[in-house]
Amino acid sequence: MTGRLPARTVLLAALMLSALAPLGLLLVASLGRGWFFPALFPPSVTLESWGDAFRGGRMAVALWTSLGLAVCTGLAGAAVGWPVGRALADLRGWPRHLGAAAAFLPVAVPPVALATGLQISALAVGVAGTPGGVFLSHLIPAAGYAALYFLGVFTLFDRRIEDEARTLGARPRTVLWRVTLPMMRREVGQAFLLGFLVSWAQVATTLVIGGGRVRTLPLEVFAYLQAGQDRYAATGALLLVIPALLMLGAVQFAVERAEATPL
Amino acid sequence: MNAPALEIAGLSVPFGDAPGLRDIGFALDPGERLVLLGPSGAGKTTLLRAIAGLAPTAAGQLRIGGRDVTDRPAEARDAVYLHQTPLLFPHLSVFENVAFPLRIRGCLQVEIQAACAELLESVRLEGLADRRPHTLSGGQKHRAALARAMAARPAVLLLDEPLTALDPSLREEVRATLLSLQARYRPALVIATHDLEDAAVLGERIGILLGGTLAQVDRPERLFQRPASLAVALFLGVPNLVSGSVADGEFRSPLGPIPAGPESLGGPATAAFGADALRPDPCGSLRGVVRSVRYGPRGATLRVDVSGLDLDATAGGGAMPETGDELRLGLERDRITILHGTTRDV
Amino acid sequence: MTAASRRGLLAAFAVSLPVLVGVGYSTLASLGLTGPGAAGEGSARIARVLGEPVVWTGLAWSLWIAAASTALATAAAVVVAVLFRGGARSDRVARLFAVLPLPIPHLAAAVAALLLLGQSGLLARLLTSLDLLTGPGDMPALVYDRPGVGLILTLAWKEFAFLALVAFSVVATRGGRLEEVARTLGARPLAVFRRVTWPLLWRGLLPAVVAVFVFAANTYEATAVLAPSDPLALPLLTLERYTDADLVRRGDAFVLVLLGTAVSLLAVAAHEWTRGRWDRLEP
Repeated sequence: MTGRLPARTVLLAALMLSALAPLGLLLVASLGRGWFFPALFPPSVTLESWGDAFRGGRMAVALWTSLGLAVCTGLAGAAVGWPVGRALADLRGWPRHLGAAAAFLPVAVPPVALATGLQISALAVGVAGTPGGVFLSHLIPAAGYAALYFLGVFTLFDRRIEDEARTLGARPRTVLWRVTLPMMRREVGQAFLLGFLVSWAQVATTLVIGGGRVRTLPLEVFAYLQAGQDRYAATGALLLVIPALLMLGAVQFAVERAEATPL
Repeated sequence: MNAPALEIAGLSVPFGDAPGLRDIGFALDPGERLVLLGPSGAGKTTLLRAIAGLAPTAAGQLRIGGRDVTDRPAEARDAVYLHQTPLLFPHLSVFENVAFPLRIRGCLQVEIQAACAELLESVRLEGLADRRPHTLSGGQKHRAALARAMAARPAVLLLDEPLTALDPSLREEVRATLLSLQARYRPALVIATHDLEDAAVLGERIGILLGGTLAQVDRPERLFQRPASLAVALFLGVPNLVSGSVADGEFRSPLGPIPAGPESLGGPATAAFGADALRPDPCGSLRGVVRSVRYGPRGATLRVDVSGLDLDATAGGGAMPETGDELRLGLERDRITILHGTTRDV
Repeated sequence: MTAASRRGLLAAFAVSLPVLVGVGYSTLASLGLTGPGAAGEGSARIARVLGEPVVWTGLAWSLWIAAASTALATAAAVVVAVLFRGGARSDRVARLFAVLPLPIPHLAAAVAALLLLGQSGLLARLLTSLDLLTGPGDMPALVYDRPGVGLILTLAWKEFAFLALVAFSVVATRGGRLEEVARTLGARPLAVFRRVTWPLLWRGLLPAVVAVFVFAANTYEATAVLAPSDPLALPLLTLERYTDADLVRRGDAFVLVLLGTAVSLLAVAAHEWTRGRWDRLEP
């Protein structure tokens, strides 16, 4: 296949372009001042919208709110999903199907339906319109994803290692702390990432439960779009992308480092 | 057809970057069986895959069914390679699995029906034609895979560890199916295994793969009686290996002088013989003390201390010796092979 | 059932409880028994809302978007998974770039799509510089358009990353040895693909394809940015009603919530069915 330009090379180039071009476009749009039709490149560059993000403006507040919510959701989602998924993995037959369906429910229900349905519960408990309420509304689908994920993980997990540890004299809590959790570092990292991304990108539930008062980054991006402020919207969009990519890298790195060091 | 089913000459098969197998050569006629015996990692699988066209070769020639296939891709050779675990196509029924080689050769539906019916009947799976592979038992899967292989009417069938890890009844089932298929359709069979028992049960000829080459190719009996080298003797587990040296056509060791044959080289050597070469004999030249008596399916074996050497001997007819007994033993000279080198060198 | 089983089931239900409460409340509201604007209509409310054409055009439009984007993404994922399945550097690079969009939020992708495909977006400017257009008015509408082209492309971009990930794993784990078997049985490369690789691939992908379809039909973020107001996609319609000033219309939203949920659950059932049917594909 040497000589003529093979389909593979063209396709590879197309893949790289398709993955990177949107990000590149967002970057340019976030920096361009007065970038109107039909200019192919912005006439001048400004860091105004980025400055807003890092100096405490509207975007900065939204960024930190989103980060806080997402990290808490990731941690809590993994913490809830682990025992649920593990318990479900031990079931067989109809209880297993039923349990899996229950865990699947928050994931399967349309986000708007989930949001409207959750608002009832939020109002009942009295957390509507508060960051706590929004956190809980993110937690529900995050825990669902995590539970399903751990269900798959624990189905493949060889329980005999824990049994061996028990016969060596370790109590159940010790087994969890010193055997199971260390073995599952990668999986816990993945579950955290799942929950983080679920919360990070959420719009419908944040809008409905938060009542527009809890300002997360996606909500601000929406607002900028509707106001026609493309530069700020692009900056916000990149601020949505970068932490997601960084978090992905961080989880991979932390897991790999943990796996390299002996217990 | 007069051409051999499989002819290999001077074949070299690399293992990744390592040299791997060198100068492999043998030939098989249709209906013949050869077992490749060797320790794990010896290159048996690699050799089979190279014959099948799934692994590259560095040198040598390969002829299957009289045609040179050295540079031909896997699908154009006439050799079917079977993995240790039967790999049936999970999305096809048993019938469609067996029909697969016929469909891709463009056979008519009528021909396919007839051929598959015959094949399924030859492996006793007629009633299971419409089943999916995951519903079959282990033995049924093996038989279905064999039927599918025979549908391709290959000149050579390459089997990788076909009996390893099977329980005894399943082992017998697979072996019987294999032999009956071979009798019926006459492919040449090359079987790779690391198990001595399986080799003895399957092989007409056994090829020992050691150290990257075919150390010996022989009938099973000759293999044990006349191992070609010390390495082969060690691999086969020949029980009695006595170190000594050869000088003036004679092997000298604590066993006394043994004629070594005019062509033997001088220097360190080992006498290799089985338990059947050493027996209690009131007129024998050796004296020993019985250390233990082991009972096995082929009779009793005595562990005897002869001049400081621990040797296995066969208990003859007559009264069974007991531990601690002193006795005289006779050595059957023509059952001894003198091999170059000692166990310290191998 | 053991104590542990009971605990497991209870825990799962605890997670889904708010959802169940929500669905229960929506059902009651749809029947006019509670909620805003419950004017004692009873089950006539359901009939009235479901009688509105805008509901069905909204649902149909959402399903169209989901079908088109999923089909595109699936085709692309299959091509990439088969072409770049090896261990060479170019294969690994291709696989990395294929899944790069995974962590990128749909909203960010939608903003980029707007900037690229909008009336005065980058594409329009490129075409103008090549003298194919004279002004933004000449640019065919790819966003806020009835066929939903921009939205389809955006969703397909994200879905492709996910489906490619699944396809890579399917091809890697199931394909190799079975293809070898087919080759030694005499099948040439095209026959191997047609009879072994492709059948295994589409069966392994099907559950993921169904999941992606459901997600695309229900997603809010990208739809809100790129979709037209007529026909109004079901998620957008639902939220619009839910925040309506008119209490009766606000109550109507619950019927739409149930409709969306019912469609989703049907699709989820389809997912489970396909997974169960073709899950035992280990050779």
